[in-house]
Amino acid sequence: MTPGVELIRGTGLVKRFGGIVASDAVELAVAEGDLIGLIGPNGSGKTTLINMLTGHLTPDRGEVFVRRRKVSNRPAHVYAGMGVARTFQLTQLFGRMTVIENLLVPGLSRPYSTWQAANRRARRCLEFLNLAHLERMHARNLSGGQQKLLELGRCLMLEPAILFLDEPFAGIHPQLRDELIKRIQELHRGGRTFVVVDHDMESILRISQRLVVMARGRKIADGLPADIQADQKVLAAYAGL
Amino acid sequence: MRGLHIYILLAAIALALVYAPHLNAYWMHVAIIAMFYGILAASWSLLAGYVGLFSLGHMAFASIGGYTSALLVQWYGIPIPLGMAAGIVMCCALGGLIGWVCLRMSGPYLAIFTLGFAEIVRIIFSTEDDVTAGMAGLHTERLFDAISRLPFFYTACALLTVSLLLMGGIVRSRWGLFLRAIREDEQAAAASGVPVARFRIVTFAIASGFAGLAGGFYAHYIGILTPSLGGLDLMAILVVMTVIGGMERLPTAVGGAFVVEVLLEVLRGYGQWRLPIFGIVLLLTMRFARNGLLTPLWLRFEALGQASGALASAADVPQKDAEA
Repeated sequence: MTPGVELIRGTGLVKRFGGIVASDAVELAVAEGDLIGLIGPNGSGKTTLINMLTGHLTPDRGEVFVRRRKVSNRPAHVYAGMGVARTFQLTQLFGRMTVIENLLVPGLSRPYSTWQAANRRARRCLEFLNLAHLERMHARNLSGGQQKLLELGRCLMLEPAILFLDEPFAGIHPQLRDELIKRIQELHRGGRTFVVVDHDMESILRISQRLVVMARGRKIADGLPADIQADQKVLAAYAGL
Repeated sequence: MRGLHIYILLAAIALALVYAPHLNAYWMHVAIIAMFYGILAASWSLLAGYVGLFSLGHMAFASIGGYTSALLVQWYGIPIPLGMAAGIVMCCALGGLIGWVCLRMSGPYLAIFTLGFAEIVRIIFSTEDDVTAGMAGLHTERLFDAISRLPFFYTACALLTVSLLLMGGIVRSRWGLFLRAIREDEQAAAASGVPVARFRIVTFAIASGFAGLAGGFYAHYIGILTPSLGGLDLMAILVVMTVIGGMERLPTAVGGAFVVEVLLEVLRGYGQWRLPIFGIVLLLTMRFARNGLLTPLWLRFEALGQASGALASAADVPQKDAEA
């Protein structure tokens, strides 16, 4: 199932919000080269899981390991420094900063980076994402799809080993969605590892090599897309059948 | 011509320095106080404009810097510059501590917390009569024995210039980029690898240090120090200055300090009515020109120094690297 070296592992991750158990002893291991689709109905705990695996939420119980190093309770920037990048469910850009500045922030946060090198990489990244012509525009003035692409670019500037994309296809034009899928596949072929959360089943099935299904804070299935699609437990929980 | 605006600024400063001896004592005092507020406005802009930490305790730090310096000079007879340096260190340490305590606060919560801190400081300085002389005022040693205010003018000018160069170095470096990223979205900044907590604490410490510098200078210029220096009235004036000028840029914040200080003097004939006038101007600025009244002018001025002649973007890509 896991094609390469283990990049990140969450063991027994528990998170409660008041009386609600958003994550109930969830286990997830992601290996180098994986392209995982993380699916589940609303409120099933997908984003909570991503938040815990990227340092944006401290688990009540359980541990997170990045490259076998325990990092639970460390702040999010430590995860980013170790090559764990993420996007957010509702796009979170630096709105009143220019497109290129949005990329320079992660570019310059890396140790030993220089302005010259970061600028060069940011421009290459903008070319790759077809955003080069918008370089000096404020990020808040971009369209929804362009903002998603820029958020992906911000992740890439960290030169990450693994990218968690939280609902990257939500609310964007089908043409831009196709472009985003193309970029994800291209990056995956180039060696990047992805965990993609989305409700757009068609897109998820197009790209995923492995599907993880969550329901009511629990992981209920983990396997090949073809197997998962036929899993009665998944159909019952996810599709309400 | 590239850098033209810098040359114009340098020429204006040189002209001011040459013309200064011809100013009468009253206007020279106004200019010195404007420069005192200039340092405070710039450092508050670093905190509120660049990082989005809307602290209402900035004047309290000026007060702490002033009292620390004045008391150390009085008790131990140390040279005034050393006393001022001690005031800066004290403010940096306290500012860092407040920044650490406020790590999870922002917006109105941070404003109320720092307001509470400022009131505590003011009340301590008011009630500890034996040490601070309370509301009667602490007589402080003056920086220069001269009757003329000219040496104070040049000192204020030097302190403002050095402060602006240092803060300018910060905001044009990668630190400045990170600070603005934190202002825009702390979570996204952290996801981009920026140590948000560390930057918030350090910025609080730096801004408080500059407030302490301004307070130390004020203490040894005026010759008497009262707890009202750290009061809400002066904090409100500082906010008005910075917001009206433009809080997201150091030069516009300083410009706001100059404009408001001069207008406060020009409108003195209107008595207390001038304060509501400034209140109304502040409301209108917040409603119609949130980047400040001087920002559009500054952008046009800055454009003079750009090779293309194009207007500088609100967040032009910094090229200079003052290594963090």
